[in-house]
Amino acid sequence: MILLLAPLIAIAAVAGAALLLRVQRSGQRELVGSVVEHVARPGRLPSILYFTGEACTICHTAQRPALRTLAAGIDSGIEIREIDIAVEPELARRYRVMSLPTTIVLDAGGEVTHINVGFASGEVLRRQLVDAGMPVAA
Amino acid sequence: MATVPFDRSVLKVNQAILMTVIVAGYAVGLVWHPIAWVLPVLAVMMLAAVATPSCNLPRILYLRWLKPLRLVQPRVVQEDPAPHRFAQLVGGVFLAAASVFVVTGLLLVAWVLAWIVAALAFLNFAFNICVGCIMYAQLVRIGLLPLSHEPAR
Repeated sequence: MILLLAPLIAIAAVAGAALLLRVQRSGQRELVGSVVEHVARPGRLPSILYFTGEACTICHTAQRPALRTLAAGIDSGIEIREIDIAVEPELARRYRVMSLPTTIVLDAGGEVTHINVGFASGEVLRRQLVDAGMPVAA
Repeated sequence: MATVPFDRSVLKVNQAILMTVIVAGYAVGLVWHPIAWVLPVLAVMMLAAVATPSCNLPRILYLRWLKPLRLVQPRVVQEDPAPHRFAQLVGGVFLAAASVFVVTGLLLVAWVLAWIVAALAFLNFAFNICVGCIMYAQLVRIGLLPLSHEPAR
């Protein structure tokens, strides 16, 4: 009858792990509204940090083309910075990147305004840039 | 725009099989301990699925019967399949460890490990929370996993 403990122990272990995960995830959301580092160009326009990796297929086949299309259709002053997490792991750690692709929209002052975990379409990113202060063409 | 079509229904079928077999096996195992030998069978199924698509039983089941009979609808998304394969590998390793404990007679430990796999499968099945995928991202980030191009399938 000691076997009756098995699901209880397992569910407790998984619940604990899920709780830790939730805390970590909420930690990334807490970045919204804060300046992690001054990678943007203050006084100018919003920017996008695009976290990617060599093994991330969807980054290369979907996210990068979406960003290129976006860049082609907006003001050239918008900076889209591609960051390979293997090359710049410290920056990924500071932005608490846990999944690829991740795109982070910063306002002109470098403040995080939006975080997208997973593929984000060009339309979504464009809306977020506008929200972050990008001038809208008349 | 080029895309990577990835049918999540294969994963869902795999998770449903895991949950059903583990929970049913555990229930039977309360009165008939030899049923614990189903855990090595599941371990082989999971590890074989990671090794090669042609040995992926849930995928075969889905493609040959469940999808043609419209019992399960396709859920094709643009996604990198590598994290999901890693998650399957983690599940397979847990079940392989459970199998070792079955062999050594430590059934409580074996079923705890199996229930962890079932619980993680449930999280992914019901809420799309893939703990193995998050582990994968973390391991790539800190450089413990080699970076390699993963073909979509």
